[in-house]
Order: sequence, then C-alpha cells, then structure tokens
Amino acid sequence: MRRKDHGGLGDLRAWARRHAYSLLSSVGTLLRNPITSTLTIVVLAIALTLPLGLNTALGNLEAVHENLDRLDSISVFLELDADENDARRVASRLSSWRNILAADPISPETGMRELAGATGLDRFDVGDVPLPWVLEVTPNATVDIAELAQRLRRAERVDMVVVDLDWVRRLDAILGVFARLVILLAALFAASVLFVISNNIRTEIQRRREEIEILALVGATPGYIRRPFLYSGLWMGLGGALLAWLAVHAGLWFLRGPVEALAATYGASAEMVVPSVQILGLMLAGSGALGVIGAWIAVSRQLARINP
Amino acid sequence: MIRFEHVAKRYPGGVQALSDVNFELARGEMTFLTGHSGAGKSTLLRLIAVLERPSRGQVLFDGKNIGRVSSRQIPRLRRKVGVIFQDHKLLTDRKVLDNVALPLLIAGFSWSEIRRRVRAALDLVGLLDKENTLIPALSGGQQQRVGIARAMIAKPPVLLADEPTGNLDPELSEELMRLFCTLNELGTTVLIATHDLDLVERLGKRTLVLKSGCMVDDRRSAGSRRADSGAGA
Repeated sequence: MRRKDHGGLGDLRAWARRHAYSLLSSVGTLLRNPITSTLTIVVLAIALTLPLGLNTALGNLEAVHENLDRLDSISVFLELDADENDARRVASRLSSWRNILAADPISPETGMRELAGATGLDRFDVGDVPLPWVLEVTPNATVDIAELAQRLRRAERVDMVVVDLDWVRRLDAILGVFARLVILLAALFAASVLFVISNNIRTEIQRRREEIEILALVGATPGYIRRPFLYSGLWMGLGGALLAWLAVHAGLWFLRGPVEALAATYGASAEMVVPSVQILGLMLAGSGALGVIGAWIAVSRQLARINP
Repeated sequence: MIRFEHVAKRYPGGVQALSDVNFELARGEMTFLTGHSGAGKSTLLRLIAVLERPSRGQVLFDGKNIGRVSSRQIPRLRRKVGVIFQDHKLLTDRKVLDNVALPLLIAGFSWSEIRRRVRAALDLVGLLDKENTLIPALSGGQQQRVGIARAMIAKPPVLLADEPTGNLDPELSEELMRLFCTLNELGTTVLIATHDLDLVERLGKRTLVLKSGCMVDDRRSAGSRRADSGAGA
C-alpha cells in the first residue's frame, strides 16, 4: 500500500475497493459452482457435527449428573432395638447438623414395602425379616459425603451407614473420559476441516490456474491473487459451522420424544441442553479461521510456482 | 528507458535462449524485434516483463536492475509494462469488459472510473459494441485487440507485443500496427516482436534482429515520418 500518486485517503479507498472486488469475486465463484460449494459445506458440516453433537450430549449428561448429586442421600441404619421414639429423637438431632438438610425416619414396615416394590418381591411372602429403623439423610450439596458418613457412623444409636458413592464416582469418571474424547475429536475434526478446505481450494486453484497466471502477468500482487481464495475458505468454514449447528439442533429435536419418555421412567423431566449461541460463535470463528488458514496454505504453495 | 547489458538467459535443461545481448530503448521509441522462431524474441520480452530473470548480465528499467529485484517488487514492475501475448492470455469465461478491466481492478480504481476507461480503450481498438461479449464468441483478431486494450488501459509507459499479427490477415495486421503507432505517438515506448518482415519494412521503424540468441543487427530508421505514411497506406 505504498502508492505515491494517492493521498492516504485515496490509498485507503483503493485498498477497500480491492477488498470489495475480491469479496464479490469469491461469492461469484461459490455461486457459479453451486454443487461443488454445497458438497464441500456439507462435508465440513458433517465433520463438525460429530464433535459438536458429542459436546452437546456431554452437556446434557452433566446436567443429569448434577440432578443426581442433589438427590444423593445417605442411609443411616439404627440399631435393631431402637424404636420409633429413638428414631425421631436421632433424626431431629441430626437435622440440626450444619451439613445436613433433612433426616427422615423410615419405619421397618415402610422399608419393607419399598424394598418389596423395588425388587418386585411383593407377591412372595418374604416372612418376618427384622428391619431396623432407617434415617434417610439428605446432605448439603457442598458437603464431603465420605467425611459426613464417617461422623454419622460415630453418632449415638447408629449401627451402619450406607453410602453408595461408587456409581456416582463411576459416572464422574465416565464423563471425564467423555470430555477428553470430545476434545480429541474436536482436534481431529478441526484438522479435517483444514484439510478439506485446503484440498478444495487447491482443486479450485488448479481449475483457475490460467486466471491466476494472467492476474500475475498484469501485475497483481500475491495478496490480491490470494484474497478471493481466502474469502472462499472463510465462506466454506462459516457455512460448515452454521450447518453443523443446525444439524445438532435438528438431532436434538429428533431425540426429544424418546429422551422425555426415558426421563419420565425416572420421574424426572427432560430439559435438554441445546448448544449455546456462544458455542455457535466459537465454532463460526474457529471454522472460519481454519478455512482462511487452509486456503492460505493452498494458495501460497501455488503462487510460489508462478512467480520466478 | 530499457537497457540490456551483456544479458544471457539459459533455461534449465541447457537451452541457451540469449547470449550477450546489448541494446537500449529510449523513452517514447517504437522498435521492432525480429528473427526466426526460436531466436530468443519471446525470452527477451519476458525478461523485460520480469516473467524470467536473466542468467547473466543486467536488464535495466529506468536505471534499475530488474533482474535482481525481490519477488515482492515484481507486481509493481509488471504494472509499468503492458504485455500483449501471442496467445492472448484472456479469461475465457469472462466478458470483454471484465478482461480489459483487470489491471484497473488490481489497482483499486472505482467501478465508475473503470467503466469509463474500459469504454475509451475499447473504442480505441474498435470493440465498443463487444463490451458484454464472452471471449470465445470473438474472432482471433478481436481477441488480440481485447488483449491490446487490456495492456494499455492502465497507461503503462512500456508496451510489449509478442507476434501480435501472428494469425491475422494482412488487413487486420495493418490495422493493429496503426494502433501501435497511435499509442506510440501518445508517448508509449513500444517493442514489438514479429517475423512479419514485410510489415517491419513498410513501417520503417528501428529494428533489432536476433539470431540464435545473439543480437546481430540494429537498424535505425530513417525517420518516423515515412513510417506514418507507410502505416496509412
């Protein structure tokens, strides 16, 4: 931009015009080859849908996980000879602990009914199985459950404390693996976006070889020659990201019915987490940038061959 | 304006296209470059347009050794040289207008200015009514004239033409030469490579003769007056 025959403003105008011409030319190229452009954008969208879809699934599972955490409770089995009065006394004492939201006593009869209902054994006579009074303790959400269980074990009239933390930990670990998998896939598919766009631009350059040569012959700078291709890369990246985002939304819509049915069996409501606008912005920026980088790589290699 | 000093060009593979070529073109001069095909005419033109770099010697353009400039500076140099190619080098999927406008688009002219200049250039080459025609729909002579319009539209100080009359009938060749003379009279330095010796003879301009890569003759013309009457005949 060191043209001496123009003032600073003239330079800026010429620069803006050159950009506008490049932009129009890139749009023209995409529109002149609707099938190629559409195919490329669809391929990119598919590549981007997988990591985005997985990320969305992860988001939903984490939401479910949080709900489960809140439902998490500790079963405190009292000694067998403790009666209802003992149970109510211990319950009221425990509920005054700072870390405990509620402590509900469950009678042996209720316990038996629940057990029978949950196992489907209610049709059989299981006989007179002695069950103790049980306190269902709901801890504060922030508490360290293992430590609380330890303290409960030392409390008066408590026989046994059962905390089934294993499956919670397991789910946690699975989600951790899942999150890493999403990152890995995102990296992999980002690379594929780079290569798809790069390859597409390379083909486009082959097709427009003559045009590039002519542009160079009449004095176009490498920047000028490169620009329409960079714009093409940008459009492809943006188109792919947008289409992937729409595809994930469509997928969620498609899954809504069965997921709601599944949630209903657990007595929960299925509020599905959709990818946020921030994610869309991030994808557009990332995919667009990858498009430009991919195009840059392809064009630079070709340009080096044309100029002596 | 353009000066060759001991210029040699050897292509990879060992073909010696030019060896020890010396000459100078003054500003505003019109010169022919003749010689058999393979004598090195095209290579000489390509060196001026920085499409090739010399293997030895210097090519000076306004005192600057263009054989040694960085590739960043090449586009700027090429804008000072309008080249008319034997095979036209036009964008075949575009209209005449878009082809001729290329140098101005690159320079970032406004669209209205581009339209105005393209019409003026097409008027000069007699193709004003073909503005929106696609290149393949034009005859060889018309395509050649589109190439000329493109080469001159940005008003470069130097015009190079490689066999511009190569496939044209005598009448069209005559017409083209008259156009070059007009441009030359407007101040453009013109160098035309051709093997059409008849034409060169009639125009009576300075003539450089290449033979197997060596400059074997440099015939100065008696004057441009005779050339003008020759062109008008």
